[in-house]
Amino acid sequence: MPKKYHIHPKITPLDLDYVFKFKIVRGENCINCGKCTKVCIYEAHKRRKDDPRKMADPNTVVCRNCFRCIQECPRGALEKSLDKDFTNIGGAFWKPDMLISLWKQAEDGKVPVSGAGYRGPFTGTGFDSMWTDMSEIVRPTRDGIHGREYISTSVDLGRKLNHLTFDADGQLASTVPDTVDLPIPILFDTPADNLSSNVKEALVKAAAEISTCIIMPAADITPRVEKYRDNIIPCLAPTEIDTHKAVLKKARLVSIEYSDAVLNDFPGLKKKIKKLSDALTIIRIPAMNDVEGIVAKLAHSGAEIIHIVADYRGQELNGSAGSDRRLLKDIIRAVHLRLVEDRIRDEITLIASGGIAMAEHVPKAMLCGADLTAIDIPLMIALGARIYEEPEKLLIFPEGLGKIPLPIVTQRIVNLMGAWHSQILEMMGAMGIREARRLRGESGRAIFFEEIDKDTFGKLFKKREAVSV
Amino acid sequence: MKPSTVKIRKMPSRFKHQVPKYKVTRSDACINCGTCARACPYGVHERVEGHNKVKPPIDYKCIGFECQGKDFYCVAKCPRKALSLSLNPMYATLGDFRWTADMITGTWIMAETGYPPQRTDLEYNVGNSGGGFDKLRFKFPAHPPQVDKSEISTAIPLNRRNDGRANVVISTPVYGGGMSFGSVSLPTMVSKARNATIWNTFTCTGEGGYPEMLQPYDDHVITQIATGLFGVREETIQRVKIIEFKYAQGAKPGLGGHLLGEKNTESVAKMREAVKGYPLFSPFPFHSVYSIEDHKKHIDWVKEMNPNALVSVKVSTPNDVDMVAVGSYYAGAHIIHIDGGYGGTGAAPDIAKKNIAMPIEYAITKVHNFLKDEGARDAMTLIASGGIRTAHDLAKAICLGADGVVIGTAELVSLECVRCGNCESGRGCARGIASTDSELADLFDEDWATQRLVNMYHAWNVQLVEILQRFGMRSVKELVGRTDLLEHIDYSHETEFAHNG
Ligand code: SF4
Ligand code: SF4
Ligand code: SF4
Ligand code: SF4
Repeated sequence: MPKKYHIHPKITPLDLDYVFKFKIVRGENCINCGKCTKVCIYEAHKRRKDDPRKMADPNTVVCRNCFRCIQECPRGALEKSLDKDFTNIGGAFWKPDMLISLWKQAEDGKVPVSGAGYRGPFTGTGFDSMWTDMSEIVRPTRDGIHGREYISTSVDLGRKLNHLTFDADGQLASTVPDTVDLPIPILFDTPADNLSSNVKEALVKAAAEISTCIIMPAADITPRVEKYRDNIIPCLAPTEIDTHKAVLKKARLVSIEYSDAVLNDFPGLKKKIKKLSDALTIIRIPAMNDVEGIVAKLAHSGAEIIHIVADYRGQELNGSAGSDRRLLKDIIRAVHLRLVEDRIRDEITLIASGGIAMAEHVPKAMLCGADLTAIDIPLMIALGARIYEEPEKLLIFPEGLGKIPLPIVTQRIVNLMGAWHSQILEMMGAMGIREARRLRGESGRAIFFEEIDKDTFGKLFKKREAVSV
Repeated sequence: MKPSTVKIRKMPSRFKHQVPKYKVTRSDACINCGTCARACPYGVHERVEGHNKVKPPIDYKCIGFECQGKDFYCVAKCPRKALSLSLNPMYATLGDFRWTADMITGTWIMAETGYPPQRTDLEYNVGNSGGGFDKLRFKFPAHPPQVDKSEISTAIPLNRRNDGRANVVISTPVYGGGMSFGSVSLPTMVSKARNATIWNTFTCTGEGGYPEMLQPYDDHVITQIATGLFGVREETIQRVKIIEFKYAQGAKPGLGGHLLGEKNTESVAKMREAVKGYPLFSPFPFHSVYSIEDHKKHIDWVKEMNPNALVSVKVSTPNDVDMVAVGSYYAGAHIIHIDGGYGGTGAAPDIAKKNIAMPIEYAITKVHNFLKDEGARDAMTLIASGGIRTAHDLAKAICLGADGVVIGTAELVSLECVRCGNCESGRGCARGIASTDSELADLFDEDWATQRLVNMYHAWNVQLVEILQRFGMRSVKELVGRTDLLEHIDYSHETEFAHNG
């Protein structure tokens, strides 16, 4: 049995300003009795170091919202509210709670655990409107997830054959195309153009450490990251191929920006690349409203790997702004089904990205039909970046990030992926699926809100109404 | 036993302050005339004779803006315009989409008084989750048959198989879910058992063993057998009327149980026959069960050990939950207990919550209909849990097809759980409910807690009886599967208030 894939987390705090959720203010009527010090088991309340007769300002970063100080202060001197910084970050998609959770995962690499049940809405949009199935009786054992039995999260990228052919002597006649195997269905995608060089380097190192790849602009591939070239996927426009010959030559995979020219002559492009390098070609297509048509056409003309890129909230890119834009979940399903109809689905690899924000989005995207995902913004959030959605996307990096030693920055990203990997295992385990490759398009193991709601409540309540009208 | 014989006693919060919805502010303009203290019937303002200053307002007693129209409205009465009323920003830090601050406050009031709150400013029957129970409404008929409240029965039988085993009847269609020793404190467990005895219903040990202190309540305790088999012995199976096999739980379906090492204290370890300080796993699934035949063997084994007991099977809600339910029927179970993903009291991986398996609202309908089609519905008791927060959820679950429900979080909220979600942490709950830390577990006494639970069950029963009366029904059994009495606000033209008023 091959060595088990494992990501090694290490507790790695970042000594930078964190956003916290609750804010507590001590009023002037405090009599410094110290009761709050005793009742808060998280040590939010302490006496002042310089003057123990007085109380220090509450340390609200550690407050876990238990209300005991509030309820037990004899003077009712404490006031609690949601912190303004907290309510201001993120937006409708990147919810502030998500940011805090991602920070935490980057810090300890652990699966986030909490008590008291689910707190969110019944359902949401996109991936939030689906549940994954579970297997009540038969499934890999729990100690299988973390112990003896192997649950594989490996996927492979490349063109596959529809079937094998054999010659008259029973010898294999088909040439089996190369593929690139990854132990985890997640690629890194460079999230912003203006990343500082240490962040870029950390991303590359982290990708290498967990044995995945990072897609980055070919121009960014400096000699410093050269030695990780097996883990770097240079990204370039078809017109830049000659400029980046050297980079291309050594790459295992290359990501080519989509254009009409690519669509109209994929074989030509492939030939041109082939002359320079053995790299497999990823076509990077913005998720436009006709994306399934484009993908189908490319698949028929021999494309190997398609990368569909939605916007940072997982929405379709063109079309009128607002609600009629499809979300990543539906885009993937549409593309997948189109390829299934065209009987070519099994031959190519689909990468989905844009708005993959939480670990659960990875297996959900795969159930919808992706072979794997690429992520960007969560990697930045791991480093303490804040994202704002309104009035437009804004990523703010914490001040001082540039001075943090590279191993720490790298480890934060590794931790995040460690936490995600464990969570993907939990979900696969619950479904009783031992092979990540089997997730792809397995929509029978997904429960879609629209379908089950219509099927249950729709049947119960709509029909009757139609009768009574 | 009739619920009406249960004694209600006022049992106020154990804390000095509650979490107020409104903020009553008195400015410097106040001349301490005492008008507000005389006017407000709720005791928000106090002016002690002989003192020349009125005390700071006790704003959690304030009923808020609904007071504006009343002639005792202090803000209007104050001669110096010194008072103002606003929403307290603190209220926004309480609760969440499923358990709103109003719902928590409402449950606290029920646990304190034994009755549903009279305040009109609290929406405590539906949450803000935007789906499921929160979108279902009752369609009360305009002229229901006249039924006297005293004629209405809320009792349900749990053994419907007619197999010669005990005819267990519970007085109200609710019982307490399994919360193991280790996940909750001993006073919490004992209070739950005492409440179950008073209400002639049940509570469940969870999977952490059977604490000695529960023995006086044996007839109202369910022994749970989970995959870890922690603290399960022949003797704990023999002393009870119901034994529950836990195949899965809704909060972490398919993941198994996990008690962090920090919570595995000396006493917990002893009870579980495990080693202190080590994390404990209940693997998933039962390693001896890979088919319905295996499942039947399991049930036969328990039935053999306790010839009178009923067997309940607790499962979560995957796509094929209906098949699992029918399988359990054929395997000989009396109760099929389906547990949805929106509840759960203990610690669970966030990724498991909500994401895995279907919400209970769908699962109830699915199982009820399938059992009916298979001709097995009348022989099974269908119990739903995992997101039942209020008496209205209870009645809606029954309309969708359940016979009764199991609750967990609602019980904890009666004991003043604030749903902070820290039950998983080292010492556990800062409020002493879900903690085995000796200091924290002593934060309340069992009398207080039992009465709070008794009161809350009473308030629910009052509401349930009222709902049955408005439907003109004499028994809660008539409500089972009556989806025609519900409407869903997404699938209906009628406004949500049309029938609800
Ligand atoms: S309990 Fe209240 S009065 Fe006492 S020190 Fe704390 S804030 Fe001040
Ligand atoms: S609410 Fe609880 S955790 Fe927060 S400061 Fe008060 S006592 Fe500490
Ligand atoms: S009525 Fe107004 S002035 Fe009089 S005691 Fe109350 S707040 Fe003060
Ligand atoms: S108060 Fe918090 S820690 Fe205690 S039981 Fe409730 S949610 Fe859990």
